[in-house]
Amino acid sequence: MPMRQASRPQTKLQVHDMTHEPEEIDDSCLEAFDYLYAYLNDELKDKAAIAKLEHHLGHCKSCFSRAQMEEELNKRMRQSDQEKAPSTLKSRLQDLMDEL
Amino acid sequence: MPLDSDLKRFFSENVEANMDSIYSLALRLTRNRADAEDLVAESVTKAWASIKKLDNPDRFRPWLFRIVHNTFISDYRKKSIRPAETAYDEAPCEGTEDVSAILVHQPNDFLNWWANPEKAFFNNLLGEEINAAIDRLPECFRVTVILINIEGLSYDEAAEVLDVSPGTIRSRMNRGRTLLQKELWHYANEAGLTTPDKAAGA
Repeated sequence: MPMRQASRPQTKLQVHDMTHEPEEIDDSCLEAFDYLYAYLNDELKDKAAIAKLEHHLGHCKSCFSRAQMEEELNKRMRQSDQEKAPSTLKSRLQDLMDEL
Repeated sequence: MPLDSDLKRFFSENVEANMDSIYSLALRLTRNRADAEDLVAESVTKAWASIKKLDNPDRFRPWLFRIVHNTFISDYRKKSIRPAETAYDEAPCEGTEDVSAILVHQPNDFLNWWANPEKAFFNNLLGEEINAAIDRLPECFRVTVILINIEGLSYDEAAEVLDVSPGTIRSRMNRGRTLLQKELWHYANEAGLTTPDKAAGA
């Protein structure tokens, strides 16, 4: 099965001008956050929501920074080494298959 | 209906193709190699017993993951929970705590620290440390993050595995990743990576 992430671009995040620099997280940041992971995971399909989020990320320094971190973390998790099935399990499963 | 020999070949090939993934998931669930092997073997046996109930062959992967997860819940879960984290792991997954509350109360230093031009934090962060932070998440968030961000399942597929709605997956992803940020921040503090000199490798 092909991995979904294979076709993902290096980054989805584009900087515009960072004019939105709230002292603290405000409502527009919280709204952006609500969509952020779906966006980074290629699960946000609503074009209006995508446009609104991209606009916010392009102008809000703190949200852009957070999104950058999460995008990097996504990349690191996809690349992380997973435990491979040990040979004992492989032969155990092979025995199971042979008995089918 | 395919012939039994075709079905057997289909099943064997797909189990083999997903063997590392289901073992990795089983290990993260049970936190014990012997139990993980038993869980995989038991799940594969159950999967073969119900292979004719698989409506869509293209959904074999989430279907097999679901059997592993359900078998874990029914036969292994109680054993896997460490006494010290019982309350943590049994925390309600769909609690009323708003993600925004976690974000707003995050240390103000967090983003400034992360956003330093050298990005020293990620340069110093090993894959095993990210894995350890994921393993410390409550179970429902841990499994959601693993299925989507490590195994590459879609939200729909993860919803099928965990028998919840895609909306619940989205909510768990938001909360799980926010908690993961907190775990990494905690780790970075403990490891001294938030001190500029150490973070830069001095």
